[in-house]
Amino acid sequence: MKTDELIDRLGRDVTVTRPLPTPGMRTAVWMVWALSYLVVVAVMMFAVMSSARVTPTPLYLVQQGAALVTGIMAARAALASVIPGANDRVWVVPAIGVATWAAALLWAGVLDLQASGTLGVTSQSDWPCVASMTVGGLLVGAPLAWMLRRGAPLTPNLTVGLAALAALSVANIEACLTRPHAFALTVLLWHGGTVAAIVTLCALMGHRWLRWPDMTTR
Amino acid sequence: MDESPAPDEQLSRLMARAQQGDSNAYVTLLRAITPRVRQLVRSRRGFLGESDVEDVVQEVLLSVHAVRATYDPARPLMPWLSAIVRHRLADAGRRHARQGAHEIGVDDLDVTFQTPVANSREETFGDPDALAQAIQALPPGQRQAVELLKLRELSLKEASALTGMSIGALKIATHRAIASLRRALQGTHEE
Repeated sequence: MKTDELIDRLGRDVTVTRPLPTPGMRTAVWMVWALSYLVVVAVMMFAVMSSARVTPTPLYLVQQGAALVTGIMAARAALASVIPGANDRVWVVPAIGVATWAAALLWAGVLDLQASGTLGVTSQSDWPCVASMTVGGLLVGAPLAWMLRRGAPLTPNLTVGLAALAALSVANIEACLTRPHAFALTVLLWHGGTVAAIVTLCALMGHRWLRWPDMTTR
Repeated sequence: MDESPAPDEQLSRLMARAQQGDSNAYVTLLRAITPRVRQLVRSRRGFLGESDVEDVVQEVLLSVHAVRATYDPARPLMPWLSAIVRHRLADAGRRHARQGAHEIGVDDLDVTFQTPVANSREETFGDPDALAQAIQALPPGQRQAVELLKLRELSLKEASALTGMSIGALKIATHRAIASLRRALQGTHEE
């Protein structure tokens, strides 16, 4: 097909298209969903396990705050990455969030070592958190994935990886709130390992989920 | 076609009107950006031939069409367009590299080889009548698959549309037909 013919065809095909809201606005919409999920699940879990309350320390709040900021920034970065001409280094701010989150957990591990004389690496396995983070990540991430598909798949692997990080950051908060952990390193290894594994998997599969529409076959 | 570039504000206005469904504005916009896209592609991939350049240009136009909702009319159009061009060029480069990894460039070979041993007739079947008979002897489904895919060289999709058979069924029928033909012709060849 000649380019002029293609232009005529596209001209005939044009319909009213509402421009996408800004990435910040779309992030806010997604956060409403993510926080609603967090509140509902946390209330349900507290009702079921009334004895297993978490005692918040300042460091614990820093960890959860860092996870929340990572989630927000990763979602915003993912939504910005599907807008052509947006900042190419969208991953920097979420990376800082992840580093802060990991640093807070490591620092808590050092405090555990001072207080208990052990890091508690082998004291507790955390499969329930792995399961709840995976399921929670899916539930929280599904609307974000849907929102991303309305954008341009410029860097699909990065975009999907960031979206997975956003969803899992929120799911991690839910797992931390509803199940107390004796040692911070358990959280770092099990929660961090789950996040790293799923984000890597999603990033590798990104180009299969986000593609340019194949318009030539329409 | 007018190759002189339109000012950015004009392009932004045209895109805003296109997003409101104005077909004329959209065609005008696409005609205005096409020379710019072509120029960008040529400047970044100078080694591409004209037809390859045109392929990338068309891919960019299709991409612009597909993601026109991501354009914010309050922003200039060219950075948005340049980002699409840059990524589509990268995609085309990756695709080219993937294809190149699976293809081997071969010069036109002579009909016969210098080495007498290589000029064996063992690999070819020289009896078209026997081949035609063997094809006629195939079950109807397999015969149809061979005729469409191997003799008329239709694609699987075309053959599927023509026969109503699924692509998977066509593949299986062809596979079985080739195996049957090989057995039948092997017997003929040994006689």
